[in-house]
Amino acid sequence: MATVREKGYSHWDGRLSERRFPWWPITRTGIQLAFRKKRFKFIFAGAFIPSFVCLAGLYISERLEDFKTFLRGSDRLLNINPKYFATFFTNEALLFLIVLVLAIGAGGLIADDLKHSSLQLYFSRPLRKTDYLLGKMSVIAFFVLILTAVPGLILIVFKLIFAGSFKFLLQYPWLPLSVLGYAALLTVFLAFYVMLLSALSKNSRYVVILIFGAYIFSNVLYGILQSIFRTPYMALFSIPANLQQAGAFLFGQTPPHNVPAIWSFAVLAAFCVLSAVVLGRKIRSVEVIK
Amino acid sequence: MTAAASFRQVLGFFAFLGRKTGKTRVFAILGLMPVALAVIVRVVLHGRAGLMAAVFTDILMVFFLQFYIVILALFYGTSVTAEEVENRTLSYLLTRPLPKPAIVLGKYAAYTLLMFAMVSLSLALSYFIMNAARLTDPALYLTFLGYLGVLGLGILAYTAFFTFLGTLLKRAIIVGLVFGFGWENVIQYFPGSTQRFSVVHYLKSLLPYRPMSGGGKGVALLLFRLEPTAPLAAVLMLAVITAALLALACWIFRTKEYLTED
Amino acid sequence: MTAVIAASNLSKWYGNVLGLNDVSLEIEAGITGLLGPNGAGKSTFMKLITGQMKPAIGTVTVRGIKTWNNPGVFREIGFCPEQDVFYDELTGWQFLTGLLRFYGYAKSEIRDRADRALDIVDLSKDKDRLIRGYSRGMRQRIKFAQAIAHDPGILILDEPLSGLDPLGKRKLIRLVKEFKSQGRTVLVSSHVLPEIEALTSRIVLIHQGKILAQGDIPFIRELIEAHPHQISVRSSEPRTLAARFVGDPSIQKMTFGPDGRTLIVETHKRDDFFGRLTGVVLEAGIEVEEITSPDDNLQAVFEYLVGK
Repeated sequence: MATVREKGYSHWDGRLSERRFPWWPITRTGIQLAFRKKRFKFIFAGAFIPSFVCLAGLYISERLEDFKTFLRGSDRLLNINPKYFATFFTNEALLFLIVLVLAIGAGGLIADDLKHSSLQLYFSRPLRKTDYLLGKMSVIAFFVLILTAVPGLILIVFKLIFAGSFKFLLQYPWLPLSVLGYAALLTVFLAFYVMLLSALSKNSRYVVILIFGAYIFSNVLYGILQSIFRTPYMALFSIPANLQQAGAFLFGQTPPHNVPAIWSFAVLAAFCVLSAVVLGRKIRSVEVIK
Repeated sequence: MTAAASFRQVLGFFAFLGRKTGKTRVFAILGLMPVALAVIVRVVLHGRAGLMAAVFTDILMVFFLQFYIVILALFYGTSVTAEEVENRTLSYLLTRPLPKPAIVLGKYAAYTLLMFAMVSLSLALSYFIMNAARLTDPALYLTFLGYLGVLGLGILAYTAFFTFLGTLLKRAIIVGLVFGFGWENVIQYFPGSTQRFSVVHYLKSLLPYRPMSGGGKGVALLLFRLEPTAPLAAVLMLAVITAALLALACWIFRTKEYLTED
Repeated sequence: MTAVIAASNLSKWYGNVLGLNDVSLEIEAGITGLLGPNGAGKSTFMKLITGQMKPAIGTVTVRGIKTWNNPGVFREIGFCPEQDVFYDELTGWQFLTGLLRFYGYAKSEIRDRADRALDIVDLSKDKDRLIRGYSRGMRQRIKFAQAIAHDPGILILDEPLSGLDPLGKRKLIRLVKEFKSQGRTVLVSSHVLPEIEALTSRIVLIHQGKILAQGDIPFIRELIEAHPHQISVRSSEPRTLAARFVGDPSIQKMTFGPDGRTLIVETHKRDDFFGRLTGVVLEAGIEVEEITSPDDNLQAVFEYLVGK
């Protein structure tokens, strides 16, 4: 008896094996798509400027005699210690650049999928919601870590090379852990932050504005509340202020605002939990049209 | 249909459409933040009118002038062209008997009116709540109109700039963000004539100048180094900036082809 | 008959890609079908006619008027785009009346025209629903409604039947034919020959930006008939089958498939071959597993014409 065959289709007789990391293709594609955007490469390159400035500072600190005429009285500025690294990691310029990179490179991570109704395509594969979210978050993790952890660890290495000894590391052996810890904190928070806002709209242009706007708005709100209430606790309303507080704590420094760092950790954690709840509800394989 | 009639019809259509979108609701809710702050301030600083006036000026400068109108203008200004291209609805407009400049100007006007309504409501509520004890003072209303006028001029100028960007560039939002929150903030700290290469300089020149209030860090730096332009010259410059950028936007829209991603 | 739409040496580049290649064409009143595979240049041509794009070389006019930057000409033109896009926040009624405003009609006239257009496309009951909630077919119909609401003399329809069910297609075809009977000009594009065939006998074939052929349906059919058909027969004894047909003068070419079980035949007389095949199979007792016609599609016709 003849078998009925669909024209142009034939079964594959091979064995299907499950991928160990089902989220990896999502991450790889997300990174590739980000780099395809014209201006993104320029902005991403620009985000490394603070790292180069920091590196220049490290070099100058080992050559203070040579630069004495230019830097009279500023040897305190170039005292390389955990505070120097904390200043680099928590400075507003670096945070601003990271948010800009993420807004442009990762703003469309979920928004574009919503726009093109791609969620059905994802979830018709052997992919769980956590794999999908992990894949997308890994794109953000890639960019944040490459702008924080990687330059941070390289800066420590360069410090040792410029100094010609391990004295610095022996003096502050926990510094690499602080770098990694802060980079991880930044990664987790910004991943939830960007993903939440990206899931709120199908329009990636609007999402870019949301990501940027919410970040700046939090600072504006802090400024206004601070001028009204004149209490440092208003800093808890500001995203960069909370990140600076947490960063200062992780580097063993005095927080810039007179608020226990635990409050900032709590605010950041609460935001991540809220984001996880909203993402869980927003990411569905079926779109309901009312 | 004349160009003026076309302009009116486009304005009417997009004013209606703009009111219905979810994004307008989000921006309108954002505009209620100063109202909430005003209520809080009334409770916290009850009776201390001088302090309330100082706080309101901070709110005006920081929230309205350097954040709210910029973010509104950035979104709606770039939307004049970008949303039609992104959503591929441009063909519905281009295949009507509408002169192309009427489409740009009509959408610009519609969105400007929408933004002005949101800003006016927010400003009015927050201002009069904070100054509730002085409602019989005519000077209060003059000051309010002054503030509203400045923000209105800001909306016109910023939206014109972002409309121009939107007609020119495919990804105007990036350049718009860098301009609105980068250039406009940084340039104010430059001395001499460099400040005049920004919109916010002319807007601040129209507001009463006040030394640093000693408030929150973000607020205090904003007035540093302001070398104001004479008010009439500032208004004129803003009008010239608006008109020139709109004219450029109309010309670009008329001559450029917008290819949608089919 | 004077041409309603005239293109003269019309060419359009997208960067280095040639979208339309030196097209000279005159379209008269009545329905003209623009037939071509995907990527042939149909939409490019329609966008040039409707003034959404500017010709790189050459001209395109509607009733003698260039359409680029000439908005007045659009009083006469109704365009139904291919893309399934709308102002999603609007209802069908708001969408139609909103677009009708741009013609300068009075409010009462806008209402009447919108009502009439909705009635024609059978969407009156759903006019107050958001377009976002419409089915694919309803969205296609509201698109058509916005193209006809202002009573244009010229209709440009870009793939108007895509996404419609058979009933929807029949309705739309009837509507388009009614338009023609009112003396209007319709240019309709499709990549499906039977759809065009149902609408009109006048066809323009376009492929890779060039006009391949222009004429009546019978003329196109002759071209297709002149094009040798490929038929693939998978059986237990392909060589026995081949031996039976080798003397048939209507068979132009015979080859065997790589699996060794398939006979691929090229013939000018497809129907005759099928008739003979049945007899041969029964006579020789051959078990036939599969019969397909790999080139029975427009792409093959075009490839043949391009080769010609």
